[in-house]
Formats: sequence, C-alpha cells, structure tokens
Amino acid sequence: MSKGKRLACTAAIPLLVCVITNLICMAKGVAMFESSLHVLTLIRAVANVILVTYALSINLNSGRFDFSVGSIALLSSVLSSAITLKYGLGPVPMLALSLLFGLLLGLLSGFVYITLKLPPMIISLGVALFYEGLAYSITDGHGISFINNKELLGFGTIPNYLIIIVCALIFMVILFDQTTFGYDYKALLSGQRVAVNTGIKEKKNALICYGAAGLLMGAQGFISATTTGSIQMSLNFGSIGIMFTAFLPMFIGGYIGRFSNDKLGYLLGAVSMAFISLTYVRLMVNSSVQQVVSALLLVGFLIYLNNEQRILSLFRKTH
Amino acid sequence: MKSFRKILVLALSFVLTFTLAACSGGGSSEGGSSASEGGIDDSKNVKIGVLVADATGAEALAFRSYYENYIAKQYNVTFMYSDELTDAAAEASAIDNFIANNCKAIISFASSDRPAQIRKCAENKVYYAVATGTLSDEEYAEFKDNEYYVGAIGPDLATEFQAGYDMAKFYLDQGKTKFAIFGGATPYYTDMHIYRTAGMLVAMCEAGGGTYNGASDFGSMIGKIYEMNCQLEPAKIGSVEVVSYIGGYDFDDAWFGKLAEAANNPNVEVLLTVGSGLDTFAAFKQESQQLATVDSYTSDAVAAMKSGVLNYLAGKYSASIGPIFMATLSAVQGKPIRTANGEALALSQGYWVATSAEEAEKFYAVDSSTEDPAYTRAMLDTLFGASYDDFAKFVSAYSFEEIQNLKK
Repeated sequence: MSKGKRLACTAAIPLLVCVITNLICMAKGVAMFESSLHVLTLIRAVANVILVTYALSINLNSGRFDFSVGSIALLSSVLSSAITLKYGLGPVPMLALSLLFGLLLGLLSGFVYITLKLPPMIISLGVALFYEGLAYSITDGHGISFINNKELLGFGTIPNYLIIIVCALIFMVILFDQTTFGYDYKALLSGQRVAVNTGIKEKKNALICYGAAGLLMGAQGFISATTTGSIQMSLNFGSIGIMFTAFLPMFIGGYIGRFSNDKLGYLLGAVSMAFISLTYVRLMVNSSVQQVVSALLLVGFLIYLNNEQRILSLFRKTH
Repeated sequence: MKSFRKILVLALSFVLTFTLAACSGGGSSEGGSSASEGGIDDSKNVKIGVLVADATGAEALAFRSYYENYIAKQYNVTFMYSDELTDAAAEASAIDNFIANNCKAIISFASSDRPAQIRKCAENKVYYAVATGTLSDEEYAEFKDNEYYVGAIGPDLATEFQAGYDMAKFYLDQGKTKFAIFGGATPYYTDMHIYRTAGMLVAMCEAGGGTYNGASDFGSMIGKIYEMNCQLEPAKIGSVEVVSYIGGYDFDDAWFGKLAEAANNPNVEVLLTVGSGLDTFAAFKQESQQLATVDSYTSDAVAAMKSGVLNYLAGKYSASIGPIFMATLSAVQGKPIRTANGEALALSQGYWVATSAEEAEKFYAVDSSTEDPAYTRAMLDTLFGASYDDFAKFVSAYSFEEIQNLKK
C-alpha cells in the first residue's frame, strides 16, 4: 500500500466522523464550535477517552480483561486529592501524586495476578471491589470535594489537556515500540510459549503492563476529579462503567492500526468519539437517545469488521 | 488429688454460673436498666434491619450517622445495614438476611418494590417502616390495616412539588427570568425528581404568564412531564425562559459537556437543580449566576454557601428519621402508633431551606451534632406509645424553629 493511501486510510474515520457530525449540527442550525468552551469539551473528551483506551488496551491485547482500571482511577484520585488538600498543594503535585498512586495500585493489581495465577477477569473484579471499598473507607463514604479550590479546578484548560494527550501518546510509543519490554510484549502477543522459551519473562512483562495501565488511569482519575471538583464514591463495581467508553475507540484504533501505528489509531479513535460526544452536547441529545446511538455505532462497526471482505467485495461489484 | 478435683469442680461451677448469667443477660444494654420513664424497655436489645438503596450519597450518610452515632448509643438497639440495593431481588435477599439474623423490624430507604418488602416482612411477622418516603395511595390502601406495617414518614410528593416551586419562586420574586434546570433522575421516572421539576415549571408559568408545552398547574404539569416520557426540553414560558435542561446521571464526557454548556450560556441567570447541585453545576458556574439545589447539610455544602458557589439549599435534616424509628420501636415493644381506625402512619415532612451561609451554618451545626441533634432522646421518648394525634403534631412541626421550640 502506498504512503498516500495509508495516510488517507489512517485519517479517513476521524475525518468522516468530523464531517458527518458537523453536517448534523449544521442541519439542526447549530455551529459545532461556537466558543472556546466547545474546543475545551472536545479536547477534554479526547484526553479522558484516550487514557482509558490506552490503559484498557495494554492488558486486553494480551488477553487479560482488566475490570479494575476504573477503581484505580477512583482510588488514586482519592489518595492524591486527600494529600493535596491536606498540605495545600497545587494541581501539578496532585497530578504527580495521582500518577504515582496509579502506578503503585496497578503494580499491586499485577502482583496479585502473577502471584495467585487465577484468571485475570476474576482477579480484576476482586481488585476493583477492594479498591472501591478502600476509597469508601478512606473518605467515610463521603467522597472528596474541592469545589471551592479554584487552583485545582483551574487545571482544566486546553493546553493542559493537550500536554497530557501528547505525553500519553509519547509514553505509549516509547514504552511499546522503543524498549525491550515493548518487543517482549509483542513477542508474547504472537506466541507466549515460544516467547517464554526464548527467555522472555512473561510475569515481569505482565507486571509492567499492569503498572503502565495504572499510571494512565491515575492521570484519568486526576482529570476527572479536577473537572468537577468532587470525587463520588462507587461501590459494587460502580467504577467499571468507565471501561465501556473505551471499546469503540479501541476497535476503531485497531482498524486504523493496520495502516499506521496502533497507538496513533487509538488516539484517532478517541478523537472520533470526542466529536460524537460534542455533537451530543451541542444538540443537547438526551441520555437515552445518546446511549442508543452509541450502542448502534459500536455494533455497526463490529458488524463491519466481521464482514469486511464481504462488504468490500459487494462494493467492488457495484463499481 | 481430691483437693485438686474440688478446686476443678468449683472452678467449673463458677465458669458455668457466669456463662449462664451471661447468656440470660445477652444483649442487655450497658446501663442494664429495664425500663425508662417513658415506658421504653431498655433491657432487651432490639435488632433493626435497615434497607439502603444509596450507601454513598451525602444524605444517606447523614441518616446513617444519626442512627449509628446517636440513636444506637441512646437506645438498646442494634442497626444492621444492607448493601447498596439496586433492585427488588436484592431487597428480598437483604430482608431474608435480616430475618435470619433475628431482626424484629426493618426500616427501609429502598424503594424498588415496597409492596413486596412489606408482604415479606408481614409474612415473617417482622415490623416494617418506610423512612424519608411515602407509599402511593394504592399501596397505602392495601397495607394500612396490616399490623406489621408501621407506616411512612417523609416528604410526600406534594412536599417535593412545593420544594421545587419554592426554589424557583425565590428567584422569580427577585426578577430572574432565565433559568437552566438539572432534572436529576427525572428521565428515569423517579417521582421525587419529577415533582420537584414540575414545581419549578409551575412557578415559572405563574410568574411568566405562560405555559410549558400547554401545561401550567400541578395536575397538568405532572401529566405533561409523563406525556413527554420524562424527557424535558428548554422552552419559553411567557416572559420566563428555561434556557437549558439536562437530565440523568450519565457521568460521561457528553454529560459534563452539557452541564458546562448550560452554565456557560451568558443568558442563564439561575441554575436550578432537583439534587446533586454541587456535583453538577458547581465547577462550571459563573460568578454572576445563582445555584440552587435540594441536598443535605454537609460541611462541603456550608463551605460552598460561604464562598458563594451555592446560594440556595433545601435539605432534609438527618434527625428527620428519628420519629419513624420511635414508631417502629413502639410497635416492636407492643405499643403501636395507629390512627383512630387502626391504620398505619402516613405523615409528611418538609425541608429546611437556607438562603444564606449563616442559615446553612446554623442548620448544619444542629444537623451534624451527635450530642445534641435536632431530635434528642428526650424528645423522641415522648413519642413512645403516643396517640396518633400527638405523634402527627410532633412530626408536622418540622421547621428548624419549631424543632428548637420543641426542645425547650
């Protein structure tokens, strides 16, 4: 495939989504970008979605379904904000603390997995319950509120979100495409038994995967907390819901990854999702319609992926 | 050897005697008193199960704190709490668990299937009461004569309507005409939020001289909301305008975007919320705007009122669940409180409304106290085995000032 064609295929989905959503808004007599607030809404959505998508994809691509990512975001933000508020720190230390706690909680989750050797789905459910319960206990169930702290709330700006997005992309590309760990990760993906026989340590690799996912969710928890100025508690797997925002971008990213780097693909998938989110905002689509549309998009894309050759051959015949 | 046996027998006798004494006195209160002046039997521990649908909300936590940190220390009662219950099956399972643990009564904050809860309790001869809520007229008609149904005390739907109406009217009277409304769980058909929203809209119809999609009074507004499948939309109501409307608790990027969009609309003067005002609009609110909500009195809410982030708070006070506890204890100890016709309680309570930081601080000081809460033991004891009229009179005096007067 030529470079130009690969570039076109890479950009096709986000461009198509951008054009269609703009047309829908125009048809309703609404401009998609009327003020800087709408750019902020778009960029914030990209930042949130890309962090969850990266975090989820790291383990999911290796066949490890990790339900604990949401609870890591919750607990790391609770711990970091509690310390931040106690010592009167600013947003940058809070972000650093969130990343640190996210990393540690991710590593702990990975340690439990490689120690107990139970299916990752079961481990992650247990870890999710444990982290949710811990967050609840730390805050006595009240959650954390800092709505009067303008410094922390002031973090939510377009440049700050862009910095986080770019940092996340660079982190993923370097970790998975430029390090021995990344090559080992890919080798394990293509054949675990062979990879282990060549001397790759799969437990160490899994542990780093959980740590990286935790780190990213620490950043997501920080963004979520500083957007609203409060952290609501979740119990009984209430934190799992955030995972579902990552599925469509993951599938889109996987598709785009055929033509370029899959990390860039996930980012473009997140951008596509953010355009759809902004359309919901601009048209004030009610939540039930929004959920139906999102589900239809996910199912539609999966149908396309599973029948791609058949659909393309039909398309070729008609031309 | 013989003397050793004698000592052993003596020692075993002591152990047996103390064990039997401990068993016979099992569960007695620390004080060990048998009955207080009001006739309450404090000698036997009463286990009460509490069904909860929300374990993390500020209001739910305040209620729990009142029961656990005040009531349980004042009376010889043990509260057993359920997990967060999200459906009728979970409620039934929790009731089974309470019955297996010898609970004599159940106080319910969960409402997925109240008729099923009452039936299950009655079948097992366990007393049942509804805290901070009411039954529908049909449900009340079905269960009012059931001896195990103690009753319900809490804001009825008319009170919820009034809470929304008063909130909107407070700002309409100040000449505000442009509003954004957060409808909370209205899209999920939650009556409490539907009625509060309806109250806001009716107040706007009266002040603006218009209608909301053809509806303008209590009955027609409720009907209109259901006709719209509880999916409301912005509208002009005469000279007043609902510039923006958001419903639901999606907590996704689009939802936060919609809240920010509404708050950043330069036309919006007031942000009215049926609940969760601090978790929704507070971070996006402009300084020129006013924010009003129905919530509970917490330190965060008071701080928000002091800083001007929150401007109007209608809150349930945590001790409001004191009377239903006493009605339940009364029933368990053989002195049920019923109407003259022997029917169960069905009483309404309202909110404490604070429109200034000073008021909010005053309410919070009383509401959060575990030493001297709004309803103290001395006040609640007067309700033990009381007549229906006396009980109803006590409950109906729910304003902050009235309760302070009752204390004197």
